[in-house]
Amino acid sequence: MTSLLTRTDHRRTRSRRVAIALAVLTTATALTACSGGADRTAAKAPAALTDQAAVANLAKAPARDDPNAVEGGTLKLSMSQDPVCLDGGQVSTAALQVLGRLYYDNLTTLDADGTPQPWLARSWDLSGDGKTYTFHLRKGVTFSDGTAFDAKAVVANFDHWRAPATKSPLAGAYIAPIKSTKVLDANTLQVKLSYPYSAFLNVLAQGWLGLTSPRQLATASNQEICEAPVGTGPFVVDKYTPGESLTLHRRKDYDWSASYLNHKGPAYLDAVDINFVSEASVRYSSLTSGEFDATDAVSPQNAVAVASNPNFVYRNIARQGNPSRLTLNTSRAPFNDVRVRRALSEGIDLDGIVKTLSYGQFGPQHAYLAPTTPYADKGANGRFVHDPQNAAKLLDEAGYSKKDAEGYRVGKDGKRLTAYLPVAQSTSPSPFNDLFQAEAKKLGLDVKIQQVTAAESASRRATGDYDLTTGVWHTNTPDGLYVLYSSNEITSKERIGQNSARLTDKELDTLLLKARQTTDPAQLKKLYKDAELRLEQLVPAIPLYDNYTSWAVNKDVHGVPADSSHGVPLFTLAWKDGGK
Amino acid sequence: MRALALGRVVARRALSGVLVLWGAATITFAALHTVKGDPALVLMGGEEANPSPEALAAVREEYGFDKPLWVQYGIYFSRLLHGNLGDSYQQHRSVLSAIGIQLGPTIVLALSTAVVAVVLALAVALATAGRGPTVAGAVNAVTTVLSSVPGFVLGIALLFVFSALLPILPSAGNAGAASLVLPVVTLALPIAAHLVQVLQPELDEVLEQPFILTARTRGASVASTKIRHALRHCLMPIATMTGFVVAGLLGGAVLVETVFSRQGLGRLATAAVSNQDLSLVLGVVLFAALVFVLVNLAVDVVYSLLDP
Repeated sequence: MTSLLTRTDHRRTRSRRVAIALAVLTTATALTACSGGADRTAAKAPAALTDQAAVANLAKAPARDDPNAVEGGTLKLSMSQDPVCLDGGQVSTAALQVLGRLYYDNLTTLDADGTPQPWLARSWDLSGDGKTYTFHLRKGVTFSDGTAFDAKAVVANFDHWRAPATKSPLAGAYIAPIKSTKVLDANTLQVKLSYPYSAFLNVLAQGWLGLTSPRQLATASNQEICEAPVGTGPFVVDKYTPGESLTLHRRKDYDWSASYLNHKGPAYLDAVDINFVSEASVRYSSLTSGEFDATDAVSPQNAVAVASNPNFVYRNIARQGNPSRLTLNTSRAPFNDVRVRRALSEGIDLDGIVKTLSYGQFGPQHAYLAPTTPYADKGANGRFVHDPQNAAKLLDEAGYSKKDAEGYRVGKDGKRLTAYLPVAQSTSPSPFNDLFQAEAKKLGLDVKIQQVTAAESASRRATGDYDLTTGVWHTNTPDGLYVLYSSNEITSKERIGQNSARLTDKELDTLLLKARQTTDPAQLKKLYKDAELRLEQLVPAIPLYDNYTSWAVNKDVHGVPADSSHGVPLFTLAWKDGGK
Repeated sequence: MRALALGRVVARRALSGVLVLWGAATITFAALHTVKGDPALVLMGGEEANPSPEALAAVREEYGFDKPLWVQYGIYFSRLLHGNLGDSYQQHRSVLSAIGIQLGPTIVLALSTAVVAVVLALAVALATAGRGPTVAGAVNAVTTVLSSVPGFVLGIALLFVFSALLPILPSAGNAGAASLVLPVVTLALPIAAHLVQVLQPELDEVLEQPFILTARTRGASVASTKIRHALRHCLMPIATMTGFVVAGLLGGAVLVETVFSRQGLGRLATAAVSNQDLSLVLGVVLFAALVFVLVNLAVDVVYSLLDP
């Protein structure tokens, strides 16, 4: 199962493993100091963190370009993860959140508030039934191989993502609602969906769904596209060396950056040189020595040092979408009983666990949607209660009133209250598992952590053979709730779904489906609030903390906002002092 | 006569080499396939992706996961005999090309390390042999520490000193000779330490032999005696250690390439194993087995030349 922290989101990031191993060693004892309050107390607001901020604040680009900005120079970036393949259509790796913005552009973008805005589609119309989008495309845009960007090019990309031969793990599924496309003229494209899908414009803005030259799609093999995708982006891929580096140079005739950036013309930097540095400690030391200008993943144990270093701008951003969570398998005992689920949620010291494992860098989050997500209910976090006494009462009521010699609760059948948590083998497992296991013991729940291989983990996930699993699903829309909790999204033999709680609730299904089929903001607000309230009744998962992305940039580098979709550093407007 | 004997050695070794390769491939195949779970789910991104049913079906069909195991084994070996190692799931390319891309940097790293380790070991052994028990004890202490420090720790320590504290060497990448210094030192020190531990007592022993005294009385200097006479007797143990050195280089590459963010086979192997990239793991294992077979063949040939 995806372990917390060791993977910052569903796209693999190994970046933090070493950091976490060290974190366990140094702070494993801290939890014993945390005790559960006996009173029914409302959740406290997250403590002030080092530069914790929502994407909304940091994605706001200035209204016009900085008059001091100078052209030239090479930005040296260390990244935690080698994407293995640069084609966003063929991978689901987190690296594409940063990389895609360098060599691709998208049809749409989000603005700082998370609302879809024009990019290569300069406008769009939506039919009354919410099923037909007509995109009016920007003119004069070209791919770096000289091919013109037009409606046919967009269709070629949709076809590439959906072709079984592409084996797309992400982009293909995101555009699955597309039923048909029709080129009305060179710059107008009609897209018909099989059902209304309110997140469509949001997902089109994600880094994986950048547009590739139709000429390359038609003539190159998938492997060749992996090595050097040809996009319309501000930079062009020079050389990708798998397992080591990626170099890009600026496109001088670029003039179509995303609308929320308020920028005309090409990027300032001559080139971007990227090295893939998997060790967190090496990324930290090579950043402070000045070898790199920026790094995309600062590990929690280096965060305070980087944040307090006057040479760097440090960002620790709580991203929109779904928080990191502990998911409970609602399809079998003991978590098929909502009382046991609620007992776990209310009975353990979640805030203490989160504080310990993140070195205080993550604020606890108890809502099912990060408050920075459009239409998220701002009151959700405050509704959470920590109440070990009520938890004990709930467990008594559920039939686990007796305790065995070791202090674990025992059911009416005489069997110990046990939950299995399979985790994929890792050289540095997440500290969450052990911290949680110790807390659950206080409640009388025996958590069995099982080390399994990735393949076994995936198979047990498919058959529902687990009680607990951890993870986070990163997306840029509240539709992430549908992905995680709709009964359509349960993994089967045919399909990998993300509803690992295996939750089947008609009321919730209806709410989430309606939200997908609505584009009216007032209705969406109501539907998502109702969905959150329903989730709070069902407790299919225990939200833990927001989905953070932490990065740092040298003070010499200016003009690096957070990407409005992913919160990662965006280099389209970046410039270096003296242009060196 | 001697050529015939040599030919026999080579033929016998080559035959057992083929058996070793077949065994290595079979054991790896069996090990990877006895792991529970559906590889199609894993290679479509495990639980971290959201592929469509069509994409999953395409993968199952392409890799033959829907066929019985013995059929998959048969397909794999018939492909292998045709020189086709299959395609890597994760690398989006053929296994041969994935290995080919990463091979160069690892060869550069391994050869540089081998040269540095052997030269360093010879220099230290020659300089300290025959200097009495105090020097021998000191050498023994230092080499014991160096040969038992984990490469990971040594690498991080070197990085901290030479690229963070005194930023004189790069911490990552394969660009130029400077980027080779720290990885080579990290990899070479433990290997050199092991070699010294074997060489030095050997030299000490040889230096007490009567023919050394004879040479010295003929007026040869200490240094030239050591190099021209004593060292020749150490060639056999060095040849014996070759297998160990190659193992150290291949195994060490995994660590060093990760710590120093270098391109190479070691990093490829780590990625292949952690991603359950079956074809690629098999390819890397076969490649490593082939290297060992060839090295052992070479060592046997050298043996029979040195000591017919």
